[in-house]
This record gives sequence, structure tokens and C-alpha cells, in this order.
Amino acid sequence: MAENKEKILEVKNLEVTFKNGKKEFVAVQDANFDLYEGETFSLVGESGSGKTTIGRAILRINPTSKGEILYKGKKINGKLDKETDRWVIRNIQMVFQDPAASLNERATIDYIVSEGLSNFHMYHSDAERHQKVVDALKSVGLLEEHASRYPHEFSGGQRQRIGIARAMVMEPKLLIADEPISALDVSIRAQVLNLLKKFQRETGLTILFIAHDLSVVRYISDRIAVIHKGRIVEMASTQELFKNPLHPYTQSLLSAVPMPDPQIEKNKKLLIYSGMEEDSKTDPRSWQEVLPGHYIYANESEMVEYRNKVTL
Amino acid sequence: MEEKKKMDPRFQFVTLHQEESEHIAAPQYSYWKSVFRRFFSSKPAILMLIISGLIVVLSILQPMISGYDPLNVPTINDFSTHFLRPSAAHWFGTDNIGRELFDAVWLGTRNSLLISFAAAMITTVLGVIVGAFWGYSRKMDTVMLEVYNIVANIPFVLIVMVLVYVLGSGIPQLIFALSCTSWLGTAYFIRVQVMIIRDREYNLASRCLGTPTSKIILHNVLPYLISVIVTMISRDVPSFISYEVFLSYLGVGVGQTDQTLGKMIQEYSQYMQSAGYLFWIPVAISALISVSLYIVGQTMADASDPKTHMQ
Repeated sequence: MAENKEKILEVKNLEVTFKNGKKEFVAVQDANFDLYEGETFSLVGESGSGKTTIGRAILRINPTSKGEILYKGKKINGKLDKETDRWVIRNIQMVFQDPAASLNERATIDYIVSEGLSNFHMYHSDAERHQKVVDALKSVGLLEEHASRYPHEFSGGQRQRIGIARAMVMEPKLLIADEPISALDVSIRAQVLNLLKKFQRETGLTILFIAHDLSVVRYISDRIAVIHKGRIVEMASTQELFKNPLHPYTQSLLSAVPMPDPQIEKNKKLLIYSGMEEDSKTDPRSWQEVLPGHYIYANESEMVEYRNKVTL
Repeated sequence: MEEKKKMDPRFQFVTLHQEESEHIAAPQYSYWKSVFRRFFSSKPAILMLIISGLIVVLSILQPMISGYDPLNVPTINDFSTHFLRPSAAHWFGTDNIGRELFDAVWLGTRNSLLISFAAAMITTVLGVIVGAFWGYSRKMDTVMLEVYNIVANIPFVLIVMVLVYVLGSGIPQLIFALSCTSWLGTAYFIRVQVMIIRDREYNLASRCLGTPTSKIILHNVLPYLISVIVTMISRDVPSFISYEVFLSYLGVGVGQTDQTLGKMIQEYSQYMQSAGYLFWIPVAISALISVSLYIVGQTMADASDPKTHMQ
């Protein structure tokens, strides 16, 4: 399904390096993936694996040290002129992980939601601005009267919906959702996920979903990339990845998903991935396609093994 | 349907109102209303506010009514009017050349307050504006840190004394000398506060929405610093009053024709033994101003911290 759709975002050989004096830390290396219009693409990995860094590199919060990020064929990393910068901001928006930290406690909801609108003068009169804010609040299930409230008066789920309203009022084409539900209570996670799906249905939004929980990712995404220590190790469509998890890290992630059945949970064997032994000199690993649309980071001997598994 | 029949008749089904559940029952929160409610819940603060208010009003109105001029001394040769003790006719007594101390004190208070408020105002406004951008810009940081290190290592009193010697004495010169370098200290303090708040996630969110830095500073950073800024003002005003007193006491403050509390204390300190009231009344007034303004300021600083509003 993905092939006949238009590419909205291309990430090519992306590398992000953090410098602290002379020390350098490579957070992300050789990241390659494309986002097609209207799909939900998930980045999955443990904490510290660099998934948030990729999201932030696309938003240009983290500078990139190598590679390219193309949005609709136009390079958006590195230095940008003012016009492109504003064009990117209008098209790519983000929902943050921590709803408590990502809202300005000293501003009213009205100010927070309309911040982007006023930066881009996306209204003709103050009444129109207020109407847009009210519409955005209603679209996330909040009430008009909330506009004059302050963030500390809301619950975690409500705050996260305010964060979504703030991003969606800009009418973006691409939404980067950085673990939008991991800070929320389990009982309201579905509410926020369904809200994202609703927006996708209504506006054809493309979502880059960053998460560490495979059970959530399975529910929401069309394609999944598994990332380990700054490197994408496997990428496939959701169905394919859950049917044929090839890379040992993917298998260990899958084994960590909790089962709501005590019998299965008790007898479940947890797979622990200890990292790949390096024999890069004789047989270097590279980014290869096992099946159409199913990519894996492997060397030649591993590829033979994987191919056998798939054909079985 | 089956289950419904089996149900206890004392219970019944209700429908869930999605909108009702989103409603917030608490009354509308208003920041400044909460600040003032909090402030006026402290009795000592109200008392001190009344005292400092009285002093300010008296120091503005009394010199207007009395028309006191320290150079106009018709009683200089009438020895019967010299060194009169405080009484019903002469509330604070008279000095060595027969001038009313009551009139002199309020004129002095007016000028001292003028100097300290003006210096505190300049220090705060300049310090906050420069400090806010200083905390944001890395380039500015490297330059300003060096400037700050140099200035902070020269004793403040030395700078002020040199400036007053160079510029000549007088009230505007003293205001300039006091605020000339002290804003750097304020700016440095604000810089540190801004750096703490700068990288919080909601500022990243604002940046993702394309908000320019000046707007982020105004809406995202400064509102968090209100309490800190009020604390600084409440510390600066009394400290400038004592600096004025101290410098005038050394004889480098204001000019010969200007009347300030510090100048009076310096002038009358020679009568500490013979006519103590001449020395102690200006000292007491100056102490009263410092203490009352400090307590009002500190209570205001506490009240402007929203963490105290929830109690």
C-alpha cells in the first residue's frame, strides 16, 4: 500500500552527534526511512536509543551532523532561509511526551493554543482567532470555557489533549508524536490514541509516532522501524514485523510485551538481546531488503539465515 | 435485558455525559487576584505597608506645605531657638542654627527615597532586560561574563566614590553612580535564572510553533521570574538607602545644598552626646523605611509565587 503513495518525508543517512567539549557522542547513525503521505510510521526502541533525537532532528531542535532530511523533496536540515523555516514550522508539528512540562504554566489555554496562530497571523480578527481556539479545543473534546483556564487546573489526559490541540490548530501535514501516551494513566491512553487516529482520518495527517511500547505501536501504526543504540535495525509493515520478527532485538522487544493472561505471562521466556558481536572487517553489516518493504541491518551470513526463515 | 431485570431496584442506569466530565468546578483562577489575597492575609505586612505608605505620603506632602529650605535660616543669630528639645511646639526639636528638624527630616526622607527608588528602578529594568537576553545568547554570554568578572571584582563603594568625584556631587549624579554598575549584578542573577528555565520543554514547544526569542522571554520566562524580581527590588531599595546614608556620611554623596537622611546623620553625628535627638531621629526614620520596605517586599515576593496560592 505504501509504494503508490507520495513520499512526504525522506531521511537519508542521518547522523546526529552531541558534543560536550572534546567528547563526542553519536546518538543516531545511518538512519534511513521514508514517510508516505497519510500513514502512521512508528519508531520503537528502548530509552536512550535515539528515537526522540530523530524526531527532534526533523524539527531542527537537534542539529544534524551528517545526512539529509527532505520534506516534500526540499532539504530541511542545516541552515535554512527564513521562508523555508516558516514553511517547515507550519507543516511539521510536534506533540510532546510530558504533558505537565510542555505547557507554559503561566499562560492561559487560549494563549497556549493560539501561540502558533499569532506567530503566523493565521486570522483576520481577534474574534476569528478565538473561534479557531474554541474549535480546536472542541475537536479534542474540551470545552469553550477552558480557554481562560491555566494548565495546572487540568488532568494529565486533558493537558495532553491541549498539546494536541496546540499542534493541530496549525493544520500541519506531518505530526511528530514523541511518546505522547507514555506519561499518561493507562485508562486514558486509548482516548489520546483514538484522537490522533481521528485527526488522521479527517485531515489525512501523516504521523511519526515515537514509542517504546510495541502493543501500542501495533494498534496505531502502518509501518514500524525498530531502533537500537542509534541505529535502525529492522523496518517493515506492522503485519509483517509481527509475523516475521527477524532481528534478535526485535524478537526481544516483542517478548517483553506484557500479556494480560497470568498463565502465559508466567511461562513466557524473555529474550535478552546483548548486542551484536562485531566482525565488521570481514563481513560488514549493511541495510538490506529481505522481503519487499522489509528491511534489516545485517551482514551476508545473517542475511542467508534470515532469508531461510522467511521462506520457510 | 435479562440482567437489567435482575438488578437491584435501588440502583439504576445513568448515561455518561462526556462534556459534564470535562467541566472544571473550581472558580476561575486569576494570578494577580491570588497574589493580593495572599499578601493581605499577612498582618505584619499590612502594618508595614501602612507605615511605609505613611512615610512616603508624608515625605511628599510635608515639604510642599512647609516650604522648608535648608539655606534659608533667619534664626541663625537668635540663640534662643537653637538646640530646642522635641516639644509640642517643635515636634522633633531644632538644630544648631535653629532649623526645624521635623521639616528637615521629611525633606531628607523625600530625597533619600527618590534616590533609592530611582536607582532600584534603573537597576531592575536594565538588569532584567539585559539579563534575559544574556541568558539566551551564547555569544553575548562570553562577552558579558568577562565584563561582569572585571566589574564584580572592583569594590562597589570604590566605583561609586570615583564616579561621584568625577561627576561632581548631586542627586542625579548619585543616582547614576549607584545604578551605573549595580545593574550588572542584577543582570547576572537574571541570566542564571533564565538559563534554568530556558531549556524546559514548554520553551521547546514554543520554538516548534515558531515563536521568536523576544516573545518567549516575555511570555514564557519572565512570568516565572516575577517573584525573584520582586525579591530583588525589595532588597535593592533598602540597600540603596543605606548606601546613600553611608556615602553621605563619608561626605561623597549629595551636594552641600541637598538635604538627605544620610547628610543629616553625617551633619548631626557631632551632637550625638549633647543633643542626641538630632542624630537618632534621622537614623530611626531611615531604619524604619528600610525595615518596612523590606518586609513589604518579601511578603510580596512570597505572594507572587504561585506555589503559595494553592493553600
